Amino acid sequence: MSNLEDNLKAALERTGPPPGFSGRVLARLNGQAPPKVAWWDLLSVLLRPPRIQWVALSVILSVMIPFAGVRYQRARRLRSEGEKAKQQLVFAVHMAGNKLHRVQQKVLEIGRMDTRL
Amino acid sequence: MKILCRLTFCIQIGAAMYGQALDLTHLERLAAKAKETADVNLDGAVLKLGAKFLSADDPDQVKIKKLVAGLKGIYVKTFTFENEGEYSDSDVGGIRKQLQSPGWSRIVGVHSKKDGDNAEVYLKTDGPGGGLAIICANPKELTIVNIVGKIDLDELSELGGSLGVPKIDLEKPKPAPKKDD
Repeated sequence: MSNLEDNLKAALERTGPPPGFSGRVLARLNGQAPPKVAWWDLLSVLLRPPRIQWVALSVILSVMIPFAGVRYQRARRLRSEGEKAKQQLVFAVHMAGNKLHRVQQKVLEIGRMDTRL
Repeated sequence: MKILCRLTFCIQIGAAMYGQALDLTHLERLAAKAKETADVNLDGAVLKLGAKFLSADDPDQVKIKKLVAGLKGIYVKTFTFENEGEYSDSDVGGIRKQLQSPGWSRIVGVHSKKDGDNAEVYLKTDGPGGGLAIICANPKELTIVNIVGKIDLDELSELGGSLGVPKIDLEKPKPAPKKDD
């Protein structure tokens, strides 16, 4: 029971406004442009309790990083195999075409010789 | 042993009949004797993978992609030897035997006594899929090409001409000189 109360207290605890809030309110009241909030101030929000964001982020990253690593490795292997297969294919077609071409040349040469005779 | 040999031969013939690749495994022992060897075995999956990586910007590769679209396999074996007589007629005979099976027909056979060049082109037209086999043998070089699937010979030859070998310049018949009366 006391745990629940503590949790409720923690959840309903009064928290301070985000950085630069009062400045922006005053600026708007005075008709001035709101002061620019630095990116590190925005990031500092993450460091404030509760730190559940960090836990969630860590969990997501611990799952995503190995998954992305495996996918990257697989893609790299596939690419390397594909490039090798491409080179072999170009070579094989080149060789087949070349030999067929030479046979055609020989046949034509024989044909020409026959015509001359 | 005889039964095993006959069974192996029957399997080879059967495979050749059903549009499978020729059995070129008996040529592997030549690799040890050869000065240079090229061995390409591209079956269906690897062929498709290789075709996928062909560039769409290179005109030759575009032609190759189109040419190999319907193929099931390309197999090339080339052996270059230091000296003459390092391979025997039986090495080539084993392949010729497979090409005597129904479906295959020899469309070209060239034998040059001058330089000892032998070239044969076989085509498989009937049965499931087509096929092409080229045997080029000269005293110091042996090349076997086996293509499984239907292939346009003109396009293939054109690629052979454009990739290093100069195109054939067909001599146009000269007009007969007019006789002066």
